[in-house]
Amino acid sequence: MSADNLQVDTQVSVFNTDGTPDKQRRYTVFAQSERKSLVLMQSPMEKGQKVLMLGDDFWLLMPGTQRPMRITPMQKLLGDASTGDVATMNWAGDYTGQVVGEEPCQPDSKATCLHLSLQAQRKGVTYQRIELWIGKVRHEPVRADLFVQSDKLAKQARFVMDKPGNPTTVAEMVLVDQLSNKKETRIQYLNRKERTVSAEWLNPMFLARNPALE
Amino acid sequence: MGNALTALFALALLAPVAARADATELTGQIRSYWINRQTADTGPLALANAIQPGTAGMDGATAGAQAELRASASMGAVQLHAHAGLQAQEVEGSRADTQSRVNEAYAAGQALGWQWSAGKKIVSWDVGYGFRPNDVVQQEVRRTLTSETPEGRPLLMAEHFDADTAWSVVWVNPTQERSDTGAQEAALAARVYRRSGAVDWHGFVRQGEHTGPSVGAAASWVANDALELHASVRAYQHADSSVSTVTDGSLVNMNPWRAHLSGAGQQVLIGGTWTSETQISVLVEAWHDDTALTDAHWSVWTARNRALPLWLKQGVPTAAVAGNLAWQGKAFGVSNSLRQDNLFVRLSWQQDRWQTALDVLYTPADQGTVTSASVVWSGERFKLEAGLRTHGGPADAVLRQLPVQRQGYAVAVWAF
Repeated sequence: MSADNLQVDTQVSVFNTDGTPDKQRRYTVFAQSERKSLVLMQSPMEKGQKVLMLGDDFWLLMPGTQRPMRITPMQKLLGDASTGDVATMNWAGDYTGQVVGEEPCQPDSKATCLHLSLQAQRKGVTYQRIELWIGKVRHEPVRADLFVQSDKLAKQARFVMDKPGNPTTVAEMVLVDQLSNKKETRIQYLNRKERTVSAEWLNPMFLARNPALE
Repeated sequence: MGNALTALFALALLAPVAARADATELTGQIRSYWINRQTADTGPLALANAIQPGTAGMDGATAGAQAELRASASMGAVQLHAHAGLQAQEVEGSRADTQSRVNEAYAAGQALGWQWSAGKKIVSWDVGYGFRPNDVVQQEVRRTLTSETPEGRPLLMAEHFDADTAWSVVWVNPTQERSDTGAQEAALAARVYRRSGAVDWHGFVRQGEHTGPSVGAAASWVANDALELHASVRAYQHADSSVSTVTDGSLVNMNPWRAHLSGAGQQVLIGGTWTSETQISVLVEAWHDDTALTDAHWSVWTARNRALPLWLKQGVPTAAVAGNLAWQGKAFGVSNSLRQDNLFVRLSWQQDRWQTALDVLYTPADQGTVTSASVVWSGERFKLEAGLRTHGGPADAVLRQLPVQRQGYAVAVWAF
């Protein structure tokens, strides 16, 4: 996902601890440069909901009311995959990193990865600290531990690449909740294309006008 | 049933358009509900019915079903939207009826750098939850028992947006009669919005056909990761109201409440929301509303409620006393706020598919309360909701005089 401005269709599937499916959600995400994202909820029960993220600032539009509401970073941490998980396509702009060293890619594997420790540059991001393991050659993400503001381990992530032999982009991110229910959430990037939206789309009051036909 | 066709007509209009449209979308929901009401044993309406049963109509248990359809079509630069509903309802003690409603039906587009909309549309403004002084176009009723989509207003609207600023100009109810009041009044309204870092600023003006000018301002500030604070204020020259022409305990032979254009006043709201990492949320709001009856008005009203039954001892026909008591209930509809000063607290918790909430509306002038508790379960396509609402406080609190004192409800929604 190297382009700065993207339109990504995302499917979020949540599984219970015994592996049975729990729920599924669909989103269309317009991820733009300078940490700006517009998320349109597409599942039947959520249809019409929209979340706008401009850096550390967030707005929510509920269907029916047609009134954009300012929300706090805590209010966007909803559900098994927070809106932040869905909308964030790139960690590079939000975190500063340092190499911790070479470590096993998985706790029980022989292959080694680079372990990076990422610290959030601002408070508005979903996770304040990320421990990330990446491939040594192509630097593709392999797994991550995600910590919230209170430095509690919130989720563990693993990444599924599009072409395992020659990975170019993340096809799926699998999150396992560590705070409460231990459920597994799979975020699949179904379709993505370069897309730059006009500046007015990213005006919070335009949420009440954004075309539903995207 | 005839007007049911009206609602579907708005959607049907989109059908031939959809055939030639660049893109179309159709969504909707089926909603069934049940509401049980426990009527009051105090208050003027309860007393009227005690003296002469059936004097004041009070809704009993209600069961019903609603079907809602939303359709959108895009043809070049023009977008068409329609949202209509059909409702079948049965109220205990009355016969079942069917109603239809077009919530929205409008065209939208862009010209000369401005966005335009024409038709029936929901346009909601302001920053509050329990009370919105500057919701001057939609004038949505707040704190309803169950969440329902409001009915849009007929309007013409032009809007201009850049990255951080938005201008909106609305001519609402352009074809309404001059005698129409409240949210039906014809008016010109404008809003300017400006984003400035962690603060959203809003400015409002409205020129009502007979209520004249009002100006307002609102702000919402995200103080830190967990805390949002908001405030809204509006000053108006006049407001649609009603007053009773009788201020003592005398009997009259016609409804003494008359439409009245009140003098200048203000509406002020302050509030905030705090949300924890575990998705526990607390909302606190306080507001003052000059459109509500004053404490003095309610004192006179209470004194008349006490005086009217005394006529029975003097041999006055029960129908006359009961009728006068029933007219006292008109006071409840003077304003959206019963008392001028209000405090609202809401505690909610979101956990996976479940959301639970408890809220209390408190009127300090008479210590009246309305307490609501609700639980919502959301699935992929199904949503189940249930709740209770009860009124409390001293027996002479205005909230204790309302004709319904306890309500329980259950709602099931299937979305497609």
